[in-house]
Amino acid sequence: MGILSLIGLLVFDTLASWIRMFIALGASILLGLGIGIYAARRKTAEKVVIPIVDILQTLPILAFFPFVIYVIVATLPGYIGINAAVIFLIITSMLWNIIFGVYEAVRTLPQEFLELAALYKLNKWKRLAKIYVPASMPKVIDQSTLSFAIGLFYLVTSEIFSTANSTYAVKYGIGVELTKLAISNNFAAYAIGIAVFIAFVVATRLFFFAKLEKYYTRYNAPIRLKPLAQTRHRQYAAFAHAIVTHIPRIRFRTENKQQIDRVYTPKPEKKIISSKAIGYALLSVTILLILFYRPFSANEGTVLASLAVSFARVWLAFALITIIAVPLVVYLLFMSKHASSYLLLFQILASIPATILLPIIVTALKGLPMHDELVAFTVYFLSGIWYVVFSTLANKAYIPSNMLEVKRIFGVRGIEAWKKMYFYAILPGLITGAVTGIAAEWNASIVAEYFTTSAIGSGAVITSVGIGIGKLLDTSLDSGNLSLMLLGLLNLTIMIVIINRFVWNRLYRKIEAISK
Amino acid sequence: MNLLDVAGVSYFIGDLEIIKDATFKANDGEFVSLIGPSGCGKSTLLRIIAGLIRPTKGKVMYLGKEIVEPIPEISFVFQDFALLPWLNNVENVEIGLSRSSISEEEKRKKALEILRHVGLSGFEYAYPNALSGGMKQRVGIARAIVSEPKILLMDEPFSSLDELTAEALRKDVYTMLKSKDNPVSSVIMVTHNVEEAVELSDKIVVMAQKPSYVKKILEVKMGRPRNKYSKEFRDYVNTVYKLLTT
Repeated sequence: MGILSLIGLLVFDTLASWIRMFIALGASILLGLGIGIYAARRKTAEKVVIPIVDILQTLPILAFFPFVIYVIVATLPGYIGINAAVIFLIITSMLWNIIFGVYEAVRTLPQEFLELAALYKLNKWKRLAKIYVPASMPKVIDQSTLSFAIGLFYLVTSEIFSTANSTYAVKYGIGVELTKLAISNNFAAYAIGIAVFIAFVVATRLFFFAKLEKYYTRYNAPIRLKPLAQTRHRQYAAFAHAIVTHIPRIRFRTENKQQIDRVYTPKPEKKIISSKAIGYALLSVTILLILFYRPFSANEGTVLASLAVSFARVWLAFALITIIAVPLVVYLLFMSKHASSYLLLFQILASIPATILLPIIVTALKGLPMHDELVAFTVYFLSGIWYVVFSTLANKAYIPSNMLEVKRIFGVRGIEAWKKMYFYAILPGLITGAVTGIAAEWNASIVAEYFTTSAIGSGAVITSVGIGIGKLLDTSLDSGNLSLMLLGLLNLTIMIVIINRFVWNRLYRKIEAISK
Repeated sequence: MNLLDVAGVSYFIGDLEIIKDATFKANDGEFVSLIGPSGCGKSTLLRIIAGLIRPTKGKVMYLGKEIVEPIPEISFVFQDFALLPWLNNVENVEIGLSRSSISEEEKRKKALEILRHVGLSGFEYAYPNALSGGMKQRVGIARAIVSEPKILLMDEPFSSLDELTAEALRKDVYTMLKSKDNPVSSVIMVTHNVEEAVELSDKIVVMAQKPSYVKKILEVKMGRPRNKYSKEFRDYVNTVYKLLTT
């Protein structure tokens, strides 16, 4: 195949992927505006919607993909079904932060605007068109760039996802194409494919999101007139900003938001439901089912064992991520003179979803002992690392500006500098990175632990770990064992909610209490 | 030999000249103020003296020896306090003893002692963000003097505080610095507050801007304590104002 026709093919496939992305983005924006405005304007809706979204946004929803496929493909025939499933899944990755963005924008609207609307008797639609939607748009665009970055991971993972059943795989898409190239050992073409993918990511940032951002923030212009430092890194910085891989910083912001609300609302209203209540309800229903529903009680042992093994993989990968990311970030933040150049490189690297590398990782690790374990570990590692790196870097704004001067003036060095300065300075970002990074690892589990190419031709199981929750979800889809799949998802969900509640939230609050 | 010599210091960012040929000196026992309009590079000059920034031309010497990096004999008080929010006050003060080779217990003892000295008894184990601005700056000062430096550099130390707090702290700082058991023999303070400069200084270095240069060095020969409302005081204030505005 000539290089031009190869590139043509790759562009065609990437376009197919991008169509899915933009359909999902459009739907997410519409839904986000609807739900966000509704939650912000209706007290009862607020008390139900916000806690639910709060939980949903921390769940590795990609793990639900086998279940979503099962349900949607059963209702919608052929390629419509699988594409609908993929798009639905991408929406679940994009929607939550857009809802929060809209909700915040509408909640913080000046009271005068609403009085104005009442004064001129604007009807519901006029209020939407003239006040709520325009007021939300800057936040929507801001969150959309983040959504798009997260969505890419979901897109690629769901595209390369395949099981024995060919109706469970998409036909066109960059993920499919790259898998084909990698399993036919065509590595040069694979590299070109990655380059095309990166070009699309950068172009989308520069020609789509940057333009939108400019348009919707045009009346906020003066705020952006901060003088830029006269350095030769300025162009780098501007470019880096344009493609910056937005990293979720939303996880804990919602709590802060509620605190802010409490300050301004004279009477703090009671929530009808809290995320805590949802967690307990989920837990008790599951326990009851396990005790009294035969298919659940029979399988709970297997599910728990799978979950435990996957947990070990995910957390071991996270341990390695921490060991590498912490010195790297400290170096970039406090020591390097060329941080912005490195940052640009990392942002480009991070724009490649780890799961798209899976086919090449499989090949690269061929012949090594414990091959399938290594593949899973590598994919987990690559899925999580950028979240940790970038949220720790993004934390820079909260580091006392003169910390480095203090360090030099008073000669704080070596272990003391790590103990008293660097460690605490990066800790809040590290925790946000841990939550988002570990969620990304779980998301990758459905392809990292079990990967076949049956659906796109060669019929081989490429990698498959002995036991793990990702594998359990995939194989239960294959065998049509819906109750096993549901039990797996319930266990995974409860575990994530418990860890968020009792580990991360507590840690975060503790840190916030002193460093605010 | 002078305690501190600032000799022909110029500083460029790219082609832009920020400081032009600044020259002055500080002797033993002198309180020197650097005054000038905001954004004229006073803080940059102070950072050059501290050894945080290298000048493009010229040099700064401590007892005749060129300063190329921060040295233990010179300490610094920051405008926005620069306390580490995750360390409590006594731990923050101990940062000031990082270079010292004494034991941890002795560091703690010294830090507690100096905190009492600056009037923060009872707040030793509180976190900085639980304190008011004036108290935070007291911690900042404690951290700066706990290691017994010879020269204390202060970058607008009172400008983040409200006027009443600032006045009380100015008095305390001056009393402390002039007390016999205090090792600090010279202070260089950046300020844009004329009265503050006249009240505290033995010498006022008036700077003008774009690029920043030393317009005049004014000796303040007035007894202490100084009365803000005396004619002599007002005359000094007027002279400095005139220098700054013409």
